[in-house]
Amino acid sequence: MTSRTRSLPSLSARNRSGMEMAVLYVLSLGGAVLISGALVALTGNSWLRVFGALMDGAFLAPGRWGETLVVAAPMLLVALGMVIGVKAGFFNIGQEGQLLMGAMAMAWVGTRLSGPGPVLLIGGLALAVVAGGGWAGVAAVMRFRRGVPEVISTLLLVFVALQVSGFAVTTDWLLRDLDQNRPSRAVASAALPDNIHLPVIRIFGNEFNIGIILALLLAGLVAFGLVRTVWGFRLRMLGHNPNVAQKVGVASTRTGAAALCLSGGLAGLAGAVMLAGGSSGFRVTSGFAQNFGWQGLLVALLARSRPLAAIPMAILFAALRTGSGFLAATGVDRKIVDVVQALLVLALLIPPAIQFIRQRRRALAQAGEE
Amino acid sequence: MTGDHQERPPALLQLRRMTKRYGEVVACDGVDLDLHAGEIHGILGENGAGKSTLMKMVIGLALPDHGSMILDGESCKIYDPLDAARHGIGMVHQHYSLVDALTVWENVALGEKGAFDPGATRAKVVEITERYGLEVDPDAPVRDLSAGIRQRVEIIKCLRHEPRIIILDEPTAVLTPAESERLFEVLLEGVRREGWAVALVSHKLDEVLAATDRITIMRDGKVVDRVATADADAPSLAREMVGRDVTLRVGAAAIGTLADTRIIDETEEHGHGGLPPVLQVTDARVKAGDGRVMLDGLSLDVYPGEVVGVAGVEGNGQTTLARTLASLIRLNSGKVLVEGAEVHSGKAGAMHRAGISVIPADRHHSGCVPEMSVAENLVLGSLEEYSRHGVLDADAIRLRARDLIEEFDIHCPGCDTPLGELSGGNQQRVVLARSLSVRPKVLVAHQPTRGLDVGAIEYIGNRLRAAADEGIGVLLLSTDLGEIAALSDRILVAYRGRIIGEMTRADMDMERLGLLIGGSTAGEDAA
Amino acid sequence: MGGFLAALWDIFSSPTMYGSAVRLGGFLAFAALGELVAEKAGTINISVEGSLLAGAFTGTVAFDMTNSTVLGLLAGIAGGLIVALIQANMSHRLTADQFVVGLTANVLVLGLAGFLNGILDPMARRAAVIEIPLLSDIPLIGPALFGQTWPTYLLYPLIPLTWWLLYRTRWGLEVRAVGENPQAADVSGIDVNKRRRQAICYGGVLAGIGGAFLVLGQVGTFDTGAVGGRGFIAIAAVYFGGWRLGGVLLGSFLFGLADAFRLALPVLGYQLNAQLLAALPYVLTLVVMYAITKQFRQPAALSRPFIRGLR
Repeated sequence: MTSRTRSLPSLSARNRSGMEMAVLYVLSLGGAVLISGALVALTGNSWLRVFGALMDGAFLAPGRWGETLVVAAPMLLVALGMVIGVKAGFFNIGQEGQLLMGAMAMAWVGTRLSGPGPVLLIGGLALAVVAGGGWAGVAAVMRFRRGVPEVISTLLLVFVALQVSGFAVTTDWLLRDLDQNRPSRAVASAALPDNIHLPVIRIFGNEFNIGIILALLLAGLVAFGLVRTVWGFRLRMLGHNPNVAQKVGVASTRTGAAALCLSGGLAGLAGAVMLAGGSSGFRVTSGFAQNFGWQGLLVALLARSRPLAAIPMAILFAALRTGSGFLAATGVDRKIVDVVQALLVLALLIPPAIQFIRQRRRALAQAGEE
Repeated sequence: MTGDHQERPPALLQLRRMTKRYGEVVACDGVDLDLHAGEIHGILGENGAGKSTLMKMVIGLALPDHGSMILDGESCKIYDPLDAARHGIGMVHQHYSLVDALTVWENVALGEKGAFDPGATRAKVVEITERYGLEVDPDAPVRDLSAGIRQRVEIIKCLRHEPRIIILDEPTAVLTPAESERLFEVLLEGVRREGWAVALVSHKLDEVLAATDRITIMRDGKVVDRVATADADAPSLAREMVGRDVTLRVGAAAIGTLADTRIIDETEEHGHGGLPPVLQVTDARVKAGDGRVMLDGLSLDVYPGEVVGVAGVEGNGQTTLARTLASLIRLNSGKVLVEGAEVHSGKAGAMHRAGISVIPADRHHSGCVPEMSVAENLVLGSLEEYSRHGVLDADAIRLRARDLIEEFDIHCPGCDTPLGELSGGNQQRVVLARSLSVRPKVLVAHQPTRGLDVGAIEYIGNRLRAAADEGIGVLLLSTDLGEIAALSDRILVAYRGRIIGEMTRADMDMERLGLLIGGSTAGEDAA
Repeated sequence: MGGFLAALWDIFSSPTMYGSAVRLGGFLAFAALGELVAEKAGTINISVEGSLLAGAFTGTVAFDMTNSTVLGLLAGIAGGLIVALIQANMSHRLTADQFVVGLTANVLVLGLAGFLNGILDPMARRAAVIEIPLLSDIPLIGPALFGQTWPTYLLYPLIPLTWWLLYRTRWGLEVRAVGENPQAADVSGIDVNKRRRQAICYGGVLAGIGGAFLVLGQVGTFDTGAVGGRGFIAIAAVYFGGWRLGGVLLGSFLFGLADAFRLALPVLGYQLNAQLLAALPYVLTLVVMYAITKQFRQPAALSRPFIRGLR
């Protein structure tokens, strides 16, 4: 509170702290890589070979980078949803379930309704947003009517959604494949008809569907919306200080619930994009989500809730995932990739945390006493 | 008891060249201080003068960069409050160190180490309460206690370690005048009977003059003077403390030199000239979630162009009232009317839209968003004006921010700086600027100057008066009687969630005010 | 309708139902007791899920290597503790967001367990059932409470131990203080974040035992899906219990009962969709949380980080 003696850190101090941050990042990421390497070594393999296989699987082998983009799209969508939630101050971590609900909505529209393909496709995507948003909406109602923390409710809802999807794909009047001739029809929905698939772009021997373009557009839109619109301003205000928000007319109940639902809606959209993009052979199965929800969350964490930073992070995680498809040849279980992803996130949490502590000390200093 | 310098024994605690830097800020700069047994030593200084930092080093909440502490002739180092307690040094905090959910004895046990013996702790509490006449039930949950009783618990917590050196940090800020007197009685008793050395940290001249034997004055981290209280006079102390003459009433009130409020300039008459009240609160009642009554039928009117001061000890409904007027709390019953029209309480933004601006006591609670920029903080209440079709007009926002930064003399590197990087005084100016820039009909200021230095206090006081002169109805909620007396046209007294007394500037009587604050309505028709 | 009621009666009068409720609820109770302590200190520790899974896995591996249930349980403690240490140090030393850390830790443990399980493929076996004389002869609850595998009995001393720690030790007083008002605790000379780290670690130890108990005292095999979100149900049990020990145990048992009910239905010949039944404990937990969460006063600083000078 001593305004007189306050001064800003000098330029050289800023450069120094920038250098320190770089060193910290190198150290902590190096640590993550080392641990991953040790795990690979445990299986008696060379880290270099594993890295080579990952690169081949993600980018270098024919047709692989297109596949990576296909995988990146839903991850980015999930991450964007997470970002919106976090900005508004809510920690929706039930995307794995919301994504499933979205995929099921898409499957229902695609296999149980009839109409022109584009109409059904767009209608399916829209219903997926509603389904994912609605699933998150359950958590929103619990939070705003009864004060149940959304962290716990969204998590529990994941496990409900898993069972609901299992129920839906084994129930005739819901999603079960009605074609009696398919041997595995008992545990899967019918495949989406050809005319409801997402359009595919072929380029340089790679092909990917327009899901990634949709996701990139939405990333841009979210980034713009958060910074430059009244909506984003109000959302951020709510996230940082709900009391100020309430005072000037942003009700946490309404705006917060909207943010949570939107967050879930994007996860639902991710599920629909996966389905209409050919995941699991255009069929919903009980294991359909394949951890995309969790990984999308990690992408958002890695991007530190910045929508544009989520783009490269989504591509990185997608690359790890598609790359892991080539690991079989090296004899390393592809699950190593799950470990690497989590380690990366933990490693990237450390430097900003240390920086925060330092800034805090400095701020305390500048606030003088008390 | 004023000291006879030559014949006094060496000081119980000697601080030598105590220095503490926080980054580039020197909070304490080579401070020497002697605390003698059997003396009350006042440490006087503005907010930010370095007195709290000095005491934190003594108590082990901050480690000095340089300097030494000599206790009983021996050099010693203190690493944490428990360490300090072992050395016989104790501190009475305002009431920050109590945990609401725990009982009195549990709170007392919280500052201990070693074997955990509830029975012994309870017995000790009873013993101390009896010895010093501090009645407290050891098994009462602290949640249910008033501010005055809480302070007793703080004292018991401190005395439990049988300290020889006792530090009191702004102890009377939360007390009624009667409670303050009682506190000083206990202290004097201990000083006389047990030879305590007491350090009284304060920014209030009158209190230090009344209660101490010697005074050390600090400014900007340094000691600027040491005097025996008997030889001290208020005006020169004030000058030394602030570093210049304090002429304005608000500033004088802030440092407690405004003993006689009748010096108030009564030439200006801030009557409302028959206008209807701009703000009416009628029979407001609020019950907290745990059943405690926060507002108990509170009613008040504020007319355009006047400053209404609500005096009262903390915890008598002021916070609830301020939060209600900020749309943060819904009334269980009663009404809020602005210009005669009822406003929905508890509905997001309703009070704001009706023209009520609130400067909260804790700006981090509902006053500002430290993570957002200065510019964003300045416009967050009027986004409609700075956007088109839902898209923010960044240029207009920046332009507006620059104007306000200039008008309110906000010191900041730029309008895009995160607000949290500004000093407390400047953050408060941002809150004030926003609250006034939305052209409110009613301005509610709750403890608007707490923790600020005299310059900032004067500035904010003047802005509040100016706001009233422009026809805004100003409601000032403060525990600082001096501030209330200096600024208000009309004074109300809040006690246990209702207004129990009213006086106009003409019939202001500090003594009666002090009694009312303690809840005494003897000979009074409760308003 | 009458048939349905008869079915319910069949189920709720069957001793096996209560036996399985104690097993399933006991598993939750290990985790919930630890989570209670962590939450009393102010952390919603979602990595309890990871601690459970880690304990289950390390317990299995140790058992596979040594063929000793005791060593398996000890290894389970180590596994649960390691996860807790990551959580505690990341969130209460480095001040990273506790949910971010918890979520990531859960993903990490799931990945690691899956990866290492593929390499090591450890085998486990259920520990022997030991019937406690006399006590196990009490009708209905006797066999349920005292006719279990011996690791189950570890829970019983942990209940008074946890109570004693929380309410009869200085450590417990300080834990409760940092969960209610960390600023005040700090001023009183308590290292707030240290107490919080310790509380999380206590939770990690109990969850580690719980995880090992799941494999060695209940199921007999390890599977990466074995925990399957029940760590979160344990958190819900803490809410259900209103942060009081007895309530938390009651919640654990009730949620265990729901699980047991789900398992008992098909065994007794009642047909209901398997998936919907599997969702039952989670749905019930959600419904219960909706119904009771507002009733209790939670630790005032629950899920709020403490950084000196920042409120």
